[in-house]
Amino acid sequence: MLKDQLKQIRSSKRLSAATVITALTTDFFALHGDGYQGDDPAVTVGFGRFMRQTVLMIGVNRGATIQQRLAYHFGAVSPAGYRKVNRGLKQAAKFHWPVISLINMPGAAADVAAERTGQSQAIAATIRQMGQLPVPNIAVFLGEGQSGGALALANCNRILMLGNSLYSVASPEAVQAILKNRRQELTAYLPMTAPQLLKLGLADQVITEDQHTVQRLQRALTTQLTELQTWSPAKLKQQRQAKYLALVAPSD
Amino acid sequence: MSHFPKKGLWQQCPRCHRHVHRLEWGQLRICPYCGYYLRLTAKQRIQQLTTGNDFIRLPKLAEHTVPFTFPGYQQKLAQAREKTGLKEAFVAGQAQLAGATFILGVMDSHFMMGTLNIVVGARLRQAIETAKQRKLPLILVIASGGARMQEGILSLLQMNTVLAAYDALNAAGLFTLNILTDPTMGGVSASFAFAADIVLAEAGATIGFAGKRVIEATSHEVLPTDFQTADSLYRQGQLDAVVQRSNLTAVVSQLLRLH
Repeated sequence: MLKDQLKQIRSSKRLSAATVITALTTDFFALHGDGYQGDDPAVTVGFGRFMRQTVLMIGVNRGATIQQRLAYHFGAVSPAGYRKVNRGLKQAAKFHWPVISLINMPGAAADVAAERTGQSQAIAATIRQMGQLPVPNIAVFLGEGQSGGALALANCNRILMLGNSLYSVASPEAVQAILKNRRQELTAYLPMTAPQLLKLGLADQVITEDQHTVQRLQRALTTQLTELQTWSPAKLKQQRQAKYLALVAPSD
Repeated sequence: MSHFPKKGLWQQCPRCHRHVHRLEWGQLRICPYCGYYLRLTAKQRIQQLTTGNDFIRLPKLAEHTVPFTFPGYQQKLAQAREKTGLKEAFVAGQAQLAGATFILGVMDSHFMMGTLNIVVGARLRQAIETAKQRKLPLILVIASGGARMQEGILSLLQMNTVLAAYDALNAAGLFTLNILTDPTMGGVSASFAFAADIVLAEAGATIGFAGKRVIEATSHEVLPTDFQTADSLYRQGQLDAVVQRSNLTAVVSQLLRLH
């Protein structure tokens, strides 16, 4: 059931980006701030060693405790957060680091300050930079991701999804609101679960959730990165565009 | 014969609530009493921004639909088509204004609030790619509530695919101009709306990422009265100019002359 899935994804016990970064990388160094406005703790951007090389990790933080959740704004990334991501992406392109983004987030920050400081432009810039990276990028859905806020971090060569994760156009609650009085589950009408998106061709791999999730994820990332790293920058950029175009415009 | 006035001749102004005759609204659909702008249809916008009838629509694209059905969506689409006489929320063609030739693309808010779906996205990419092939400037008049929820994740994926095409056009050295009209929101605002060389907004337009109701519900903030208005975005440095509707043709002509 979607409801149970959401509860699980949003629970404090859910596998967090911070846990994955700690488990996967050594020598991790986190960037701080967007360079002029401030630092958004809702997203961690930093680099560390993975597969005997430096990789850039982007992880959205929902927080486990109530204090953390408040500090991280429940994982709603602000323009300063996206701009920190963009700083990281610039370095990844400069130093040829692969990029891994870890996604479990509500929509991007929706408040007066976020609008005033250019949420639209910050998200668009992240979509652009992710799309044009000359290095491989892989998105991992640890939980839910929705709307432009998630798309920006998922404009990648590969999309991996944990078995219970979700990726949708808007929050399931928002979509439910236009559905009105239907008995069937939302997922019966719109593909958003990991198996559905795998079938659609958007997700490339679904990772079974059990006590070995992190190890499975590590193996999956290793396999995918090993392949992608043999590709030229041009091929990496071209594959991203082709992947999404094939989905939205099959006959173009 | 009925003594009642013909239907559609009078329309109440949403702002000052006066009843205004169609002739008084005029071609630009401006309230003669309070200056309120009614939202223009794609057809009216094309008339406003082209000389004479110089608008040649781009070729039809192969039809495709999403491989899933959202309840009630087909009826909504049918209603929108009936209401607007359009097949979808975006129309593009080659246009002429003040001696300059360019590709003009217009979103129509009367068609499901101009939302981005697979057809609108495909037509946007077609307009962008045509401008690139023909080496012409691209002018987009934007009016959209964002991604169309009924087409789910495939609506969302229009953001990155359209933006990628748009960036390629910019990289090709062609002039791009976006005119943000009421409303410019969500997935459109956060992808290609601000990607142009010059970004103008029509006076009074609401422009933003998240909707006001969503912001009120999630942040519990009291919204400033000028929140997400063209004027406030201009003050914040997010727009090059806020243009009165009656002046838009002149400003667009000027920009075309200079490029």
